[in-house]
Amino acid sequence: MPRAIRGVLIECDPSIKSIIVNIDSVNHDFIIEDLDEERVVVKENMVQLLKQKLEDRLKENLPPVDESGSE
Amino acid sequence: MDAVDVSEHYEVTAADNSPSLLSIVLDTNPRAWAALDSSLSLAQAISNILVFVNAHLAFSNANQVAVIAAHVNRAVWLYPALQHPSSTTVKDNSGDVQMHDASAETSLPPPSANKYPQFAQIESSVFSSIQTLMAETTVQDLDQLTTQLSGALTLALCRINKAAQALSSSDTTLSNAAPVNATAPPPVKGRIVVVSVSDSDPSQYIPTMNAVFAAAHNQVAIDTISLAGDSTFLQQACFNTNGIFLKAANPRGLLTYLMFGLIPDTEARASLITPTHDTVDFRTACFCHGKVVDTGYVCSVCLSIFCTPPDNAECLTCGTVLALGNYGAKPAVLPRKKKKKKKIANGSGREETGSATGTPRP
Amino acid sequence: MSINPSLSLAEYLERLPGTTFKKLYQQPSTTFAIFRRMLPHLAKTFVMRMLFLPHPMTLADLDAWVKPEAKRKKDQSLSILRSLHIVQISAPSKEKPQEIQLMSNFKRSLRLALTGGGNHNSFGVPSSLMVPPEIDLPFLDRYARKKWEDVLHFVVSSVGYKSSLGEGSGPNKGVKELLIAGQLVDRRPNGSLGITQAGFTFLLQEANAQVWTLLLLWLEVLGNNKSSGLDPVDMLSFLFMLASLELGRAYDTNALTEERRNMLPSLVDFGLIYIPQHKRSMFFPTRLATTLTSGGNSLRTISEGSLGLLGGGGTGEQAGSVVIETNYRLYAYTQSALQIAVLALFAKLNMRFPDMVAGRLSRASIRQAINFGITADQIISYLSAHAHEQMHRTAALTNKPVLPPTVVDQIRLWQLENERMKTTSGFLFRDFTDDKDYLDTARFSEEIGVLVWRNDNTRMFFANKHEQIKDFLKSRKKAE
Repeated sequence: MPRAIRGVLIECDPSIKSIIVNIDSVNHDFIIEDLDEERVVVKENMVQLLKQKLEDRLKENLPPVDESGSE
Repeated sequence: MDAVDVSEHYEVTAADNSPSLLSIVLDTNPRAWAALDSSLSLAQAISNILVFVNAHLAFSNANQVAVIAAHVNRAVWLYPALQHPSSTTVKDNSGDVQMHDASAETSLPPPSANKYPQFAQIESSVFSSIQTLMAETTVQDLDQLTTQLSGALTLALCRINKAAQALSSSDTTLSNAAPVNATAPPPVKGRIVVVSVSDSDPSQYIPTMNAVFAAAHNQVAIDTISLAGDSTFLQQACFNTNGIFLKAANPRGLLTYLMFGLIPDTEARASLITPTHDTVDFRTACFCHGKVVDTGYVCSVCLSIFCTPPDNAECLTCGTVLALGNYGAKPAVLPRKKKKKKKIANGSGREETGSATGTPRP
Repeated sequence: MSINPSLSLAEYLERLPGTTFKKLYQQPSTTFAIFRRMLPHLAKTFVMRMLFLPHPMTLADLDAWVKPEAKRKKDQSLSILRSLHIVQISAPSKEKPQEIQLMSNFKRSLRLALTGGGNHNSFGVPSSLMVPPEIDLPFLDRYARKKWEDVLHFVVSSVGYKSSLGEGSGPNKGVKELLIAGQLVDRRPNGSLGITQAGFTFLLQEANAQVWTLLLLWLEVLGNNKSSGLDPVDMLSFLFMLASLELGRAYDTNALTEERRNMLPSLVDFGLIYIPQHKRSMFFPTRLATTLTSGGNSLRTISEGSLGLLGGGGTGEQAGSVVIETNYRLYAYTQSALQIAVLALFAKLNMRFPDMVAGRLSRASIRQAINFGITADQIISYLSAHAHEQMHRTAALTNKPVLPPTVVDQIRLWQLENERMKTTSGFLFRDFTDDKDYLDTARFSEEIGVLVWRNDNTRMFFANKHEQIKDFLKSRKKAE
């Protein structure tokens, strides 16, 4: 009997996906199913938290953007 | 926190909801309708057409409708009605007819609560206009067997053009794209539906085809439902404008023909299989006598068509003196490889040429 | 954060049970409005073609109508028609081909709407009283615009730009509470009101979408509140009826049911209807109400003036006031607090003059806007809709686009640079017993247009809706 599992499909680059997998590896409480290189299914209630963590991760690794903004 | 997620942005769809303008040209030839009366009276036909009009308006409240009567000697607006419904069309200095949508009329009775107000307005406007039209029809008019179709087609095109301009001018603030060019889709999806009951009048060939080419140029489709008679030119009109030609074998079922065959507008037709005309009568009318001809003489300079060589071999249209090889002989006709139909004598019987290509578009 | 207050009408309707639709479709006006507002073009064409058919037709016949390349469009149309309970498709069986027909309620009501007749009074009973002469279309438009701007001002003023109108002229208490309940604005710990992300998105929507957002919030709030005694289905039906009334005509309030009369004060607060002070027994629908069913995002009509001025939160008087240069500087000739507040959402304003503000677009300001949930396209369409006349003139002279392409592209790029993934909520289907089972189900979900991803090797697929797949699996099980 097939099963239907509620979740959120995330499609992204392999690099981003590896970060997601890495975030998940701490507690294994995000990912429901690792589909392929560019897709994972995560729990619906965890998406916001995941996004936030991902954002933080990205901020750590990205160089600050030059924002001179002189008039 | 959604900044990292792109899903929201992808959901913005650019739905094409440019309004669609339907112009209905109703052939009101009294003689033809009298002949048809046993199966479908004019009043029944108009009721059916009104339901079709309502169905079109139901699609979107930006959709518009115009109903024009093509009468024996003139074309008359049924909806939107003229401001002053008098015996002759009121024209201002520039020759334009003043028009008002029925919403401007105040003399209408209060609408029923069981009817969509716009539908009620159209209905009363169409019925009162057609009554006026019929009351004005004189006995002499009845001698005419054919209908002034080209005038009605031209009116319909003018209306579509006016609507398109009104829309594009109010629209300029929206487009940050390049200015409108010829390939851009028109701001309205114009369409003309002709309800034809009579034969095509050969003397109307040139004005009709001019209207058809103008329609094709403006991407306006001309659809025809032919209840009776032989509408040669309308077949060509539909073919040239990618319209639908329907020959109603049973006029009583007009509503079904309309609702089934002609309800899709040009947008829906992109994804639907539309009824096709397998054979199109491509014959033309000659410029000299207005006869419908199968094979004729063509001026090599201006492409005017003549049923017989003109006097002194001088083209009646452009005046070029033409050298006729073998003056007076029948033009040579090459036999087709696959002969499908028997040839009938020129002019009397009507016949499909079965040609695969239409008149070239401008 | 995940609550989405700007729920769209389609989502709202899809959640209603079938019995509700049966009730809704009893009224021709409601049927007519749902047909007009909710269906994609192709679906409308299908409905019209089937409307006067006496018998059900086979699905195979329907397939024959459609060009092969438009199959996907057809499947989606059918899926929407089914989810709105407009068509009925018989279960697949061996003896008989699948048949499709319109639901009888829907068919009867739509026929009535098109042909007129019946005695349902669903298109509003006109008032027989004398209409006060001062109430004409411009008056109603002014009134509706004023009411609606009050609502927008209230949302915006919570950003910190004080409304110039003063305190007393804001929207009614009920409307304010509704905006708070709908989380378009929320109460900050210090007691003041602050705009939320949903509020920002709300501000930049077109007027029509704004009205629906607010009305649905209202339905939701009243629906949850059982003591109000209002039935959301009846309310929805009433709203659809309002949409089919004629602008500028007076209608009789006495012909309405008690519950519907109770709704009128709220509708007055939103600016959807107008009730004259001294004649309480008549009401006038305004353009906000009569355009409720106009297709999604266009309020433009040819003969009638457009209400588009309201769109995008702009202020009526100055349609084009924004100049933007290729160096990302932005000047707006306006005094309107509303417009300045909207500009401040995505631009860094640094100078304010008596009738002009100046600022610039920067990566940071656009990023901030995107963080609020505003999209680049919303910003671009706002800028182009409010471009100064001079911009149009220069564009026409030099044969160039109205907005500098470099700015437009850069706004899009600023949005794109942080878009790393795409999320789709839905259901993962797995653990199929055999290949055939899997393939059939996956094909079915692809046909109805809900399939997002599939992998035939692992026998898993992802779909964004599951109701119809569930039915499909059930009917398969029965057939075995």
